[in-house]
Amino acid sequence: MTSPSNASAFEPADPPGSSSLRLPKLRGSLDTQSMSSSISTLPYRNSNASVSSLFASTSTPTGSRSVSPSGTGTPSRAMAGSVFGGLPGEGNQLSPADRPEDPRSLITQAFVPHIAVHTSADTKELVKDKGFNGGLWELLRPFGERVQGKVTVRDSIGAGKTWEDFAVRFVELGDGLEIPEAVPGSRKSAEGRTAAANGTKPLPDSVLAQRMRTGGDIAPIETLVDRHLSYAEQFPSMSGEEFLNLKDAHLRSPDIPSPFYTLYLRRLLSGIPLAPHETFSHPVACVIAISSRNTNPIETLRNLYDESSRGAKRLPLWVNNEYLRYYVLVHDEERDDITKSMTLFEQMKRHFGLHCHLLRLRSSECVATDDDSIRLPRCEWLAAPEEITEIQTRELEGDIEDSYPCIYESDTTAIKTFIREMVTQSIIPSMERCVATWNDQVASRRRGISGRFISMSKKWAFGTSSRSSSNGPTSSNSNYDALQGFYRPDAPEAVMRKLADYAFMLRDWKLAYSTFDLLRTDFNNDKAWKYHAAANEMAAVSQLMMPQAISSKVRSETIDQMLETSSYSYITRCGATYGALRSLALGMELLRLRGGSATEDAARWGTRLLEYKVVGVVGDALFKERVSACYASKKGAGTEHWGSRTRKSALWSILAADAWLTLGKIQQSKLRVEEANGKYSALTHKDSLSHFTHANDFLESLQREVQLALYPESGIEGPGQVEDLIDTSIGEESEAFVSRPHRRSVMGQVAPLANLETAPLHGALLGGEDETPRADQFE
Amino acid sequence: MSYYFAIIGTQDNPIFEYEFGTSKQGGDGIARFPEQARHMNQFIVHSSLDIVEEVQWGGGQMYLKCIDRFYNNYVSCFITGGNVKFLLLHAPSQPAVANTTRASTSIAANPTSPQIEEAIKQFFTEVYENWVKTIMSPFYQVNMEVKSPVFRARVAAAGKKYL
Repeated sequence: MTSPSNASAFEPADPPGSSSLRLPKLRGSLDTQSMSSSISTLPYRNSNASVSSLFASTSTPTGSRSVSPSGTGTPSRAMAGSVFGGLPGEGNQLSPADRPEDPRSLITQAFVPHIAVHTSADTKELVKDKGFNGGLWELLRPFGERVQGKVTVRDSIGAGKTWEDFAVRFVELGDGLEIPEAVPGSRKSAEGRTAAANGTKPLPDSVLAQRMRTGGDIAPIETLVDRHLSYAEQFPSMSGEEFLNLKDAHLRSPDIPSPFYTLYLRRLLSGIPLAPHETFSHPVACVIAISSRNTNPIETLRNLYDESSRGAKRLPLWVNNEYLRYYVLVHDEERDDITKSMTLFEQMKRHFGLHCHLLRLRSSECVATDDDSIRLPRCEWLAAPEEITEIQTRELEGDIEDSYPCIYESDTTAIKTFIREMVTQSIIPSMERCVATWNDQVASRRRGISGRFISMSKKWAFGTSSRSSSNGPTSSNSNYDALQGFYRPDAPEAVMRKLADYAFMLRDWKLAYSTFDLLRTDFNNDKAWKYHAAANEMAAVSQLMMPQAISSKVRSETIDQMLETSSYSYITRCGATYGALRSLALGMELLRLRGGSATEDAARWGTRLLEYKVVGVVGDALFKERVSACYASKKGAGTEHWGSRTRKSALWSILAADAWLTLGKIQQSKLRVEEANGKYSALTHKDSLSHFTHANDFLESLQREVQLALYPESGIEGPGQVEDLIDTSIGEESEAFVSRPHRRSVMGQVAPLANLETAPLHGALLGGEDETPRADQFE
Repeated sequence: MSYYFAIIGTQDNPIFEYEFGTSKQGGDGIARFPEQARHMNQFIVHSSLDIVEEVQWGGGQMYLKCIDRFYNNYVSCFITGGNVKFLLLHAPSQPAVANTTRASTSIAANPTSPQIEEAIKQFFTEVYENWVKTIMSPFYQVNMEVKSPVFRARVAAAGKKYL
């Protein structure tokens, strides 16, 4: 029998080193952990720790992540509240994104510079000795998700901005090339086909692993989230626990999505496939690494460089090959002489310039019992197939011990320093330089000066493309190779796209937006539909990421247009459902944040997303939840809450509950039904729906089905329980609430069931209480 | 085209409900709402009240035109001086087969086209006249359900005439 304390088992024991690194989230979860374990001392038996820790991302109570003891959570929420609750009809200023569930922080963490890692065989061996079979990138990857310390980025005007949460992604050179989407049903996407053709590598074993690390497909995401959901169903005491922890304010807040939705979005955005139409996953830099074991170091480095730029590891034609190379000497602390490595490093510096680093690692494998061993932090941005495989292998192992790879603390310090140094001293400056150069040379030619100049730049561009493309006829006046479906990397359009992506990754939204905006028309003229869709998508996203207020008129003229074009192009012209889903989901979330009438637009895009039927069954239910949240974010005016969308929100909650019930996810369904009841009772005319006979019958039968599925015994009570549901007094409810987390232990007795029945209403009451004071605050 | 007509009282309570189908273009006047989704009509109409409450302050008109949409269902509204709302849910071409959705985007079946708007306006006006006559009954009190068969017949006739 599971007890509430089981929750503590689902949380990974945090690696001590990393808790200082990612303060708010981990400390929050540590707190709940200690709290819940003090509540009950029952040992857990029936969950496999190594498996359950994999589900921590969804089984950890969401709210607790944002509540950090240092108090950063609270003021920001108060601020957010006052801002989001502004007068309807205005695009509001936005508060900084600081919570992990915030779509803006999700976006800044998702679209980050990708750094390819290319190592020599001896480095691979060294890392293998440490217990990492994947190679150096596997060791670096978790640390790249948060670069230690603050990172300052200069924007196009030269104003510096400091970010604490800068991230980079380490991938193996060539990762992301396999696009699963291109395989089935891409009748129109020439882009996809070429990508798949280019991606066929002569190394079949590594191709499989690389494919695992590539996202861009909706089906695995659905499977993964479904798995997480079934896990949550299997250990439902979790939700009781969650309820206990979050009984206060923010459970009902639409700003905190369900953990499953966050997971869905995160997986949607991880493992962005390498494609011609967007350059986010094109490498910004390549780490070329050798180890001190190498006998012929300089020669090997040269060979590795040649391989990456010309040889077998050359990325496809449409990837700009002039990215930064960063040379790393991995020094084996245990076997080799540091003085020798130092001289070699000096030599490297002389040969390759300043972009070099000496990384000192211990080569022996670290086990958990070692003195200064800490657990390798878990990677948050795994692609969906990769995480599924991980879960499957863990389940097959059936290991009770949590067998996470460990690493020496000295090594983590070395790696963190290395990443920080590389990012702040080489990668960001070089990106800034690229942005400045391209902006000067290519984009500013196009900006401001009208048609004559455009045609001139076209002509000039035509010269370059005709020179280089002897194969295949290009259409007379454009750089777009319609046959193969891409622009060559030196074409001004491709350079501008790269400029815009760089600006986006450096979080210079303004420059990114203006460049994407230019590109939209170019791609439209060239009929490069996938490029067109992607440029529209990112133009909308970057405009929404800008903190400025957007009036509803501008919104309908620009953002609506762009989202419309983007989703239409993705779906109808390219058959790329992944892109459509991404653009609409991001657009919806960002619009919702703006509050006021923008939430209406957000809900409309959410509905559109559902209408397109691009998501599977799990996504369908999740997005219904989100549409409900969109409507809920609209705050009404005055005491009557005129202009709020409570009824709409409740309707979508019911739809979501229905969808969850069909999927057999009873816990989720229950939460949504409670939510809907809460919303209905927050109305001025609380029982208005009960006069609508059909609707009321449906709602009641939904509740009854959820109850029956949760507690099969309650069926004995028969139809009488409906009355129980309706007239419960407030006095009973607090009692019902206390009995809730223990409901599993009292199951089988009939007496407490009447109390349990009141639970939804109680939740409703809470929701109501929560709603009113909040609303008063902002008015 | 199927219609669901509801009169909503001041406390969001339904006073009168009536389902019918189109009589134009060879329709037989029978509503073709899917049986398993019957409750949805009520949910949709109920949720549209959110929009009504916002739109009603926008202008002095009683006829608010098409105010809301839920998938393929459109809701038109007429608000009386007594804050009683007439809501008409119209769903063009119920079975959403590929070729019929194409037809529904054509002007004739487009639910927001001026012709349809005008027809609905006439329907609402006629119902309103009958409504005023009905509630003038000395036995009628505010928000009481209207059960008069005469009124129902008149609504049906108006539906047949205009929609």
